[in-house]
This record gives sequence, C-alpha cells and structure tokens, in this order.
Amino acid sequence: MTNSKMNNRILVAAVLITTYVLVPLLFGGNSYLLGVVVSAFTIAGIAVAWALLGNLGGMISFGHAAFFGIGAYTSSLLAMRFGVSPLLGLLLGGLGAVVASLAMLPVLRLRGPYFALAILAYAEIFRILAVELKSITGGAGGLLSIPGLPTVAGFDLNTKLGGYFTIVTIVAVSVLVYYLIRRSTYGLALRAMHDSENATRVLGVPATRLKALMLIVSAFITGVVGAFNAHFINFLEPNYAFAGTWTILPIVAAIFGGYRTLTGPVAGALVIYLMDQLLFKSLIPQGHQLILGGLLVAMILFAPDGLVGVLLRKVKGGGDHATT
Amino acid sequence: MFELTLQAVFSGLLSGAFYALIALGLALVFGTMKVINLAHGELILLAAYVAYTLESVAGWSPLASLPVALVVVGICAAGVYFLISRIKRDRELNSLILTFGLAIIITNGILMIWSADVRSTGGDWAHGAFVLGDSLFAMNAELLAAGVSVVLVVLLYLWLNHSWYGRAIRAVSSSSEAAKLMGVNPRQLELLSFIIAGVLATFAGVALYSAQTIAPELGHNLTITAFIITVLAGMGSISEVLVGGLLIGVIEALTVTYFSSSLRELSGFVLFLAVLLVLPSGLSGLKMKTRKAGPTGVSPGSSEKPARQKQLQHD
Amino acid sequence: MFKQLLLKATVVAALACMSATALAEEKTIKIGSQVPLTGGLARVGLDFLEGIQVAVKQANDDNEGQYQFELLTIDDETAPAKAVAAVEKLASQGVVALTGGYGSNIVGPASGAAHELGIPYITSGGMAVGLTQRGFKNFFRLSNLEGYSKAMAGLAKMVDADKVSIVYNNVESTTDLAEALERALDKAGIESVIHSYDGSTGNFTPLVNRIRLQDRPDVIAMVGYENDYIAILRAAKILKPDIKAIVGGWSLATAQMNSEFNDVVQGVAGTSMLPYPVHFSGGEAQRFAETFTELHDKTPDYIAQFSYVQTKLLIEAILRADKAGEITGESIAREMHKTDSETLIGRVTFDENGDNPHFANHIGQHQGDKVELVWPESAATAQMVLPGRPW
Repeated sequence: MTNSKMNNRILVAAVLITTYVLVPLLFGGNSYLLGVVVSAFTIAGIAVAWALLGNLGGMISFGHAAFFGIGAYTSSLLAMRFGVSPLLGLLLGGLGAVVASLAMLPVLRLRGPYFALAILAYAEIFRILAVELKSITGGAGGLLSIPGLPTVAGFDLNTKLGGYFTIVTIVAVSVLVYYLIRRSTYGLALRAMHDSENATRVLGVPATRLKALMLIVSAFITGVVGAFNAHFINFLEPNYAFAGTWTILPIVAAIFGGYRTLTGPVAGALVIYLMDQLLFKSLIPQGHQLILGGLLVAMILFAPDGLVGVLLRKVKGGGDHATT
Repeated sequence: MFELTLQAVFSGLLSGAFYALIALGLALVFGTMKVINLAHGELILLAAYVAYTLESVAGWSPLASLPVALVVVGICAAGVYFLISRIKRDRELNSLILTFGLAIIITNGILMIWSADVRSTGGDWAHGAFVLGDSLFAMNAELLAAGVSVVLVVLLYLWLNHSWYGRAIRAVSSSSEAAKLMGVNPRQLELLSFIIAGVLATFAGVALYSAQTIAPELGHNLTITAFIITVLAGMGSISEVLVGGLLIGVIEALTVTYFSSSLRELSGFVLFLAVLLVLPSGLSGLKMKTRKAGPTGVSPGSSEKPARQKQLQHD
Repeated sequence: MFKQLLLKATVVAALACMSATALAEEKTIKIGSQVPLTGGLARVGLDFLEGIQVAVKQANDDNEGQYQFELLTIDDETAPAKAVAAVEKLASQGVVALTGGYGSNIVGPASGAAHELGIPYITSGGMAVGLTQRGFKNFFRLSNLEGYSKAMAGLAKMVDADKVSIVYNNVESTTDLAEALERALDKAGIESVIHSYDGSTGNFTPLVNRIRLQDRPDVIAMVGYENDYIAILRAAKILKPDIKAIVGGWSLATAQMNSEFNDVVQGVAGTSMLPYPVHFSGGEAQRFAETFTELHDKTPDYIAQFSYVQTKLLIEAILRADKAGEITGESIAREMHKTDSETLIGRVTFDENGDNPHFANHIGQHQGDKVELVWPESAATAQMVLPGRPW
C-alpha cells in the first residue's frame, strides 16, 4: 500500500471516528448544538448531490430545492396517510424526487444557465402546486406533526442524537456513492478534463443517457435528505419545503469548500453553517449574514479552489489535480 | 368580457415592459461577459432606496433623484466589476458566488440603513390615473416606466449594433483574443458594459419606487425575475428581452383575470419552460433561423468556433 | 480602646449589611423571546420586541429588590428551523418561559419545540387554527382569527353590504382569516366571493378590475400585509370600483399607515384595538405609553400593545407561581390558565387549548390624520365616513 493511500485511509478512519464517536460523546447532551449540526449536515447532503451533478453530469442546477421538497412531501404524506414507516419513507422520498427528475428530462438538452434556470422554474412550479393542491398537500398551512423516525435495534432515532446519526450516515453514503461513480471509467474520463476549462467546453457534453443518470442520482440523494428533514422537524409547508435556501446554501457550501473535490461540499457546508449560526450570530445578532456575504467574496477572490482545495495544496505541496 | 380582456392585455403589456426594464442590465452583462450578476436585483433596489432617501429627506421627486442614483449605483456597479475582474479562472461559476455574496451584503446593508419598513413614493402624479377611452386604466408611473423601458431597449440595441463601442463589446464577448488583435481593450469594455448595466438598473429602481412599494427583501425576487426574462430572451439578445418581458406580463395578467391570481407566478414559469422546450436557446432562437450571424456572443449549445467565424464574416 | 470600638462597629455593620443583602436577595428570572429580527417579518419582529421590553422594564421597576427579570432574545431569521434552534438555545440558557413568535408557520414548530422542552410559550402572532388543536397545555395565544373575522363582518353588516369580495394573500394565516371571514359573512347573511393572490404580486390592476367588472360587490375585504394593501388600494384608486367601503385585516388601520401613506388609506377601514392618536387614559394604558416612549422614543403601535400585554400576563403568572411554591414549566402553565385580567386589549382568559375566547377586535377607519374606531358602536370614537374608500 502506498504512503498516500495509507494516509487517505487513516484520514477517513479519523473522520469517521470523530463523526460517529467523538461528536456524540462531547455534544450529545446539547440539544441546541446537535440541532445546528444536523442542519449543517442536511445542507451538506444537498451540496454533495449538487456537486455530483455539476462535476459528473456537467450541469449546474439552480433548483435543487425541487428535489428536496418533493422528497419531503412524498415521505411525509406516505407516513401520514398510509402509515408508511418513515425509515422506508426516506427511500421512497428519494424515489419521489427521482420521478420529479424524470419530468425534467426534456430540459436536459438545454445548456448552462438555461438548464440551471429551467430547474429553478420546476422548483417554483412544484412550490405553487403544493400550495394549490390543498386536498393532497395541506395547502399553505402545510403538514403539522409529521411522524418522526422509528426506533431501530433498540435505538430511538426520533431524538436529536438519532437524527444526527441518520443524517451523518446519509451524507457519508452519498459521498461514497459519489466516490464510486467518480472512480468508474466514466468518472475517470471526466476527471482528466477538469483541469482545462476549455477542454470541458470542447468535450461538449457527455452522452444524454449518462447525464440523465447523474440527474437521477443527484435527485435521489437530495430527495432522501429532504425526507429526513421533514421527519426531523416534524413540520412542512410549501415555502419552507421549496425554499431558495435549500438551493442556494448548498451551492455556496460546495463552492466554498471546493467544488471539484469530494469532501469539499461537506466541509464547506459544515464550516459555513456552523460559523454563521454559532459564531457570527452571537457576535453580530442582526448583521451576521453580512459577514457570511463578506466571507464568500473573500473566498472567491483569494481562495477560489475552496477550503479543501487550499488545504490539499498545502498538504501535497502543489499539483492541481483533484484527488480527494 | 372584452373590456376585461383588453384591460388585462394592457396591464400585462405595461408590467411586461417593466419586467424587461428590470432584466436589461442583467441581460447586457450576461450577453457580453457570460457573467450572471446575482447582485443585479440589489443594485436596482439600491437605486430605489436612494430615490426614497432623497424624497423623504429633501422632498425631491423620483425623477429629480435620478442623477444622484445613477452616480451611486454606477459606482457600485463598477465596484462589482472590479471584484469580478480579480477572478482568475472559472469566471462564470466563481462570479456567481461572488455576486451572491455581494447581494447578501447589499441586502443586509439596506436592511440596516433603512430598516424593514415598506416604502413608496408619496408623489401624487405617480399614482394618478391614466384613462384611455373610458375603459383602459393605468397608473401614470406604470406608463412612464413602460415607456422608459421601450426607449432604453431601442437605445441599447442601436448602440450595440451601430456604435463603435457597442460593436467592440460584442466582439469582446465573442472572442476576447480576436478583439485584442483588433485594438480593443477587453477590460475597459467589460467595465463599460457593467456601468451601463448599473445605469439600466438605476432606471428600473427609480421606476420601481415610483410605481410600487419597496422593502429590503425584494432584491432577491428582482434578480430572479431579471434572470428568467434574460434566459427566456436568449443569451445576448436585447430586443428579445422586451418581447420576453411582454409575453410573460400578458400571460400573467390573463391568468389573473380568467383563472386565479394565485396562479400568476405559475403561468410565468410554465410559459418560460414551454418556450425553452421549443426553442432551447430562448426567443433569440427564432432570429437565428432567419439570420446568418447571431446577435452577440456565443449561442449556447454550439462550441465557440462557428460563432466566432460568423462574427468575423459579418463585419 | 476607641480603635477597638470602631473595629467592632465596623464588623457589626458589615455583618448587618451582609445579612440585609441576604434577606433582600434579588431573584433573577430569565425570560426568552424568539422573534424575527431579520428576514421577511423583520419589521413586525422589531415592533414585537419593543413591547416585550416595556413589560420587562416595568416588571423590574415594580419588583426592584425582589425580582430581576432578564430578557434573552434570539433572532429566528423568519425561518422555522432557526426558530426551533432559537428556542433550544434559549432553553439551554435557562429561560423559564417564552414570549414572542410571529407568523404561524414559525410559531408552530417553535412552540412545538418549547412544548417538548416543557417551557410555556405565549404569542400573539400565530393565528392559524391548527396551533391550538395540538393538545398542548403550555401554549397560549392572545389573539385568534375569530376576533378579526367577526369585526370585519360586523363592519360589512354596518354598511348594509349585500355582497363582499374577499381578496387574500395565499399564505396560511391570511387564507385562514379569509375563510373565517367567509363563514362570518355567511352567518350574517351576506354573499361573498373569494380571490386568492400570490404574495409577490406587485400590480393588482387585473385583479381589481376583475372584481369591479365581474363581482360588483358592495364591500372589498383585503386580507394581507402592508405592501399588499397599498398596491391593492392604488389599483382601486385608478379603477374606482363602485363600492361602499374597503376593509382590511391586520396591519392596516395603524398609525404608521396613516402617517406614511395617508392619501392612499383615506376612508379605509381595518381591524384595530385602539384609535390613533391614542389617548391612553387610565393608569395602566398611560403608564404603558409613557414607558414605551421613554424606552424607544416613539409612540407604541398595535403590535407592541399585544406583545406588552402577553409578556405582562406571563410575568404575573411567573410571580404567582413563585409565591405558590416554585417556578417550573408546569407551575407557570397552571398559573397562566388561571389568568383573568382586564388588559389594554380587553379581558383575557385562556381556555384549555390556550386560546383567549374574549378576544374581540374593533374596526378603525382612517379619517384625515386620525384613525377613529367605528365599530362596534360601544367602542366607537366617531361615526364612520361613507363611502369608506380613498376616492
């Protein structure tokens, strides 16, 4: 085993131990803190899905909230109307989002900002439909008291800690899926192109079928995260489910953390969200979003590779290739 | 019934022209630099608040506050460009995040300076009724805004197609290397197009303040509207911005009149998707089929080379 | 000798002081408030907070030496998830009760979290019907929809309307109020037509024209927020539908609307507890107004009145709980349910679901530079000017 592979494995193990053992031990009792961390990981999950679509599918989306909301509503309605277990609901929420993405297939042939905005249009349409189709979705009032996650193997997932483990696992699996796809022959071809901007354009766009597959995967992940959020907060309404925040924050997080890297989106989401809610908000209660804006601007100007990109370069000492 | 439809179409045309006015600045920058300025809505809002301040502090009418607003927003627009120009690579994506960060800063800045209250002009004339033939109604400010929009669209179109600077901007957007060879300084021109976008945003902002109410959180909605109209029009085409705006405005007004007002936004988005499905490059796709060379910039979906060659041939 | 005496005297004096302080030891009680200070509801949130601050200040002045109330405020950024986080953070900081919350979709999850944590929650900003149907024993609200819909229907009846067109924003609370108004009008034998609109609408000309030409009502009822009202009224001023009156829900018959948009709201009626300029007569009202002006350098509006009353009732319940034994979530909730007070907004009690069944709003009309109460007759300060419209 080469040195860098060994290092990678140690790093991964360390991260997993921190996430699954240290954090719960240290902060398990602090409801507020755990809640904030869960929110951060929710954003992280969407960020991974978004980056996957952007990097492997070559499509930037401005409407991931569409998948988030559909996943949330699908799972919640199935749980409330048909008594489906929320845990199964998570997967079904993901599938619901996949169905929504199938409705988006016609716009796959659109390029760049056209596609991005078309997805946004879909998200807004879904939101308005959620408000109008009152008998199905509960209308503007939304759904209150959505069932929480069940008890699994004696461990009650319907607690802050249970939710934490659930979302962390979802994010970890998503990153794994991202990694596996990237490692496959398809992913390898794309990675070679990533360094050269012109090459990405000249490459044109990958075959439509593969693009569709990436859209489906991205939608599925986001739908699962959306479903999780609904069962965690136990509340849903159209403006919340399809809120622009679910689209914008993950994009910001992914780019802040390093859009081309594997772990960048997750790192970016954690750093941005935690810093904003835990640090900035207490320093400047009413203007803390301003600092976030300033941070983004500074990031783009001085560290466009994102946080993880910068760290990687420091560790490996040069070399532009995206490895982690 | 007919009266109802006529008024709906009339109102729709007016609000559609206003949408176009909002979108113009964004469309210009998008067409020339392929940069999406997510702070565009905030620049419009800033102009509106400048007009508000001048009216509430010094009693100036919105029209009188235009010069000051132009300067303020022009400087801000130049500032935005300055920051964008510092981006070294991946400009399209990075400028997205950069301007998003700027948008957050400006919105929160506006909130802190002017508070969250709803504001609007108190001027009598602005809200006076304009009645055409007993059955068509409009607010004076609405009418003026629509008129200004059309004028600006025409001016911009003429400028881009017939003045040296205008054509230079189009050349730069098509290929900055070739433009440099022709003796054009891309940076200067990009700065110019940003400042002009700021000017357009100023007009939109003052119009907004005159005709409607403003509040700090409007910035985001304005940007989205501008963006939708821009993409609907197709990258880099100015006249289609007006057409796209009018189309959306009329469809929305008819939906409100004959279906439900809460479906207003839905109709706009459905129209947007419908057009894109038929014309993947937006409304400008209609023109492409009849003309040899495209309007400005690169047409989406094709690689750079053919458009560049077309551009050089045309001139 | 003298020195020794002095030393003894000093020691005795010191001991006396210490025990005196021990006897008069102030008890600090923390109250939490989760309000929108940024985001879409920022304007309301700030007003809300101001009223709460007045109540806390008065409580501290009144109970100086015995109790010290500390108010901890966290911005919920007009976002449900952040509101839940705010509640949790306040809980971790040791608050015994929560006052605040605006917007039903935010109050819902926030009060749910408070319920989980066993912390009493009182609000006057959550109208949705579902909020008091959850079986929570520690959720309280001062105002509800019926208080508003009854008043608006009452006005329609007073002007002898046969048909009312209801125009409402399609978010939850305004939809609920519109539907409650429909029911109230139906009870009064008045026909109604409803039109919902999207909150981002800026141009109401098509909608108002539709009402003018198709509905032809006697009264137009608006249920929305300030920017909606202004836009609707402006469109109506252009189209001039032939109606007897326009009446609106919350945020319309306010001092702010009168001073900032005077010509747009002339003759327009809206729900309002008190007239403007308000002559706070009688002990409590006057004291409220004075303390408010002292703290915030302006006159209070209706939002602050409500938040003041809700906080005051909460503090009184906490004090009763302490005197009865101890301060816990349950004891405060128990005392809250025993509330029966005459307040700035009338009599307040809480039923088993936390609703205040006595809540009844009045209708005010913008007349010149004032807002006069015109309904019900018992509370009227002036006659209603007809037609009640700005043209």
